[in-house]
Amino acid sequence: MDFYLSAILQGLCLSAMAFGIFISMKIFNIPDISTDGTYTLGGVISGFYISQSYNGFAIVGLVILGGALAGAITGIIHTKLKVNALLAGILVMTALYSINLSILGQSNLPLLNFDILFTVINLFQNPTYNTFLIVFTIILILLMSLTYVLKSDFGLAMRATGNNQIMIRALGVNTDTMKIIGLAIANSLTALSGYLMTLLQGFADINMGIGIVIVGLGSVMMGETLINFFNIKNITIVLLIVILGAIVFQLVLAFALSLGINPNLLKLITAAFVLLIVGLPRFISNKAE
Amino acid sequence: MRFYKLLIVLFALTGCNSTPKSTLPQIGFVDAFEDATIAQAKTGFVDALAKNGFIDGKNINIVYKNAQGSIPTLGQILDYFVSQKVTLLATSTTLATLTAIQKSKTIPIFMMISPTPKLMKIEDKDGLIPSNLFGVMENLNYIDTSFSIMPTLIKPKSGKLRIGMVYNQAEPQSVEALARINTLAAKYNALIIAAPVNSSADAQMVTQFLLDKNLDCFFANPDNTVFAAFETILKNCNQKNIPIFTSEVGLVKRGALAAFGADIYLWGYQAGVQASMYLKSGETQNLKPEMVKVRKRVYNPQVAKKYGITFPLNFEAIK
Repeated sequence: MDFYLSAILQGLCLSAMAFGIFISMKIFNIPDISTDGTYTLGGVISGFYISQSYNGFAIVGLVILGGALAGAITGIIHTKLKVNALLAGILVMTALYSINLSILGQSNLPLLNFDILFTVINLFQNPTYNTFLIVFTIILILLMSLTYVLKSDFGLAMRATGNNQIMIRALGVNTDTMKIIGLAIANSLTALSGYLMTLLQGFADINMGIGIVIVGLGSVMMGETLINFFNIKNITIVLLIVILGAIVFQLVLAFALSLGINPNLLKLITAAFVLLIVGLPRFISNKAE
Repeated sequence: MRFYKLLIVLFALTGCNSTPKSTLPQIGFVDAFEDATIAQAKTGFVDALAKNGFIDGKNINIVYKNAQGSIPTLGQILDYFVSQKVTLLATSTTLATLTAIQKSKTIPIFMMISPTPKLMKIEDKDGLIPSNLFGVMENLNYIDTSFSIMPTLIKPKSGKLRIGMVYNQAEPQSVEALARINTLAAKYNALIIAAPVNSSADAQMVTQFLLDKNLDCFFANPDNTVFAAFETILKNCNQKNIPIFTSEVGLVKRGALAAFGADIYLWGYQAGVQASMYLKSGETQNLKPEMVKVRKRVYNPQVAKKYGITFPLNFEAIK
C-alpha cells in the first residue's frame, strides 16, 4: 500500500505543475514549454539553498520568485517581441538550462538533510503518511488560493483571454499584461512542483525537468476528459480533477511497474493505459447516444 | 446519468490487482537508462550470482526494472522495490544509486557503474556514508592511467600533443574527469581542447568542431552521451584519421583504439559476488563498498593496423 501512496504522493507533487500547465493552456491555448526549465529551476534553487542551510520559508519564497520571473520573461518575449508562444517557451527553457547549471554549480546535487519540510509534522509512525499529510496540505492551500484567484474579476478576465482575445480587449483589458501575469503564476506553480519533487527524491538534477511538460499536459488532458464527460463548470472541481489527472498519471506507471511488465515496454504500456482512460469514456458516451 | 457514468469510471479503476508475492528472496535490479554497454553490468551481476549458486527463478527472484531515462519513473521503481521489501537492491549507474540511497536507509544497496561516495557528494560532515551502501565503485585514478597511454603512443604533429574531448555538463563524473584531465595535461605537455555535449543529438556538430582544431588524438571519456553517441564520434574521427582513446573496454570493441580501464561486465560481476556474500550470510558487517578490482589494458587490433601503431606486450588485443 505504501507503494501506491508514494505514487499518489509523487502525483500530488506534480499536480502543482499540472495547475501551471492548466493556467497556461487557459490563457495561451497551447502548453507553455518553459515548464521543462522552470520545474528544474525550482529544483535547483531549492537544492542549492537547502545545501546552504537557508531558512525553509525563504527557500519557498525564492523558488516562487524564480519561477515567476522565468514565466514573466516568457510572457514578455511573446507579447512585447511578438515571438510565437511556443518558441518563446522553447527559448526560455533552453536558456534556463545554463542558468540552472550555474545555480547548481554541478549537474547533480544530493541533499543530505533534505527532509526539512517533510519532518515538520510527526503525527504518524510511518514517515510516508507524514509527508503525505504535508504535501496534501500544501496542495490544498494552492487549490484554495487558485480557486480564489480564478474566480475573481481578474481571474475571469485572464481565463477569458484564452477564449476570445478580441472580445476581452474590447472590454478594456490589457491582454498582454494578462498573459505575462498568467505565465508568471503558472511558472511559479511549476517551480514549486520542482521544489516538492526535489525534497521528495532527495536530490536536484539538471535533467529532472526534461519532458516533464508532457507529464503535466497528460495530466491536464486526462482531467479534461472527465471535465467534458461530466460537463463540469465549477472551477474548484475542475482543479480537483486536474489534481486527479496528475495522480492517475503516476498511478498508471505504478500499476505498470507492479504488474511486472517487460521494462522495454514500460512507456508503451503507460501510453496505452492513458489512452484507455481517455478513450473509454468517449467510447461509452458515443454508444449511449 | 452522471451517477451511472461515475460508476463506470470507478469500475474501470478498481479492475486492477497487484501481483502475488513470491516467497523467494527478491532482488530489485534497477537501471537508470537503456544502453548496450551499461547493460553488461547486469549480465555480469546475474552471472556472479549464478556462479555462487543463486539462480534467478530457482532460489532467488531477480526483478529487473529500467527507468528509461526518466527521473520520476526511477523514483517510483525504487518506491516499488522498497514497498515489496526486496532483500537487496542492485543499482546500475550513479543516478540509480543516488535515488536508492534517498529512498531506503535499511535495504542493502549494491551499486555498480557508480563513483565513490565522495565523488557522489553523499558523505556527511564526518565523512560517513549511508550505512546500507555496498557494491563496487570507482574513483578518478583510472583517468590518470588511461590518459598516460596517449602521450606514450602518439607523437604530436608539432609542439604540444593536442587532444580533443567531449564532456557532459549534466554528469558530475564527466565534469570532474575533465578537470582532472586538464591538470594531467600540463604534466604530459599536452593541450586539451574540450567542448560540451549534453545530448547525443549535439555530438555530430561538436565533434566536427573539435576535429577542425588540428587534433592529434581524441579522448572519449565514457559518460552517458559518449556511450550513446560513440558511433557518431567514431565516424567523424575515422574520416579525419584521428585515433580515439578511452577508459572503457566496451568502447574499444566499438572501435576506439585503446583503453586502460574498467570492464563494465566485470564491474557488475564484482558487485554480484559481493551481493551473493550477503545472500549467503544475511549479514553486512563484513561488507563495505569496494574499488573496482579488474582494470584492463586493451587495444583494438584492426584500428591499430589502420594507424600503424604497435602496442607494448602488456596490452591485450580485443576480439
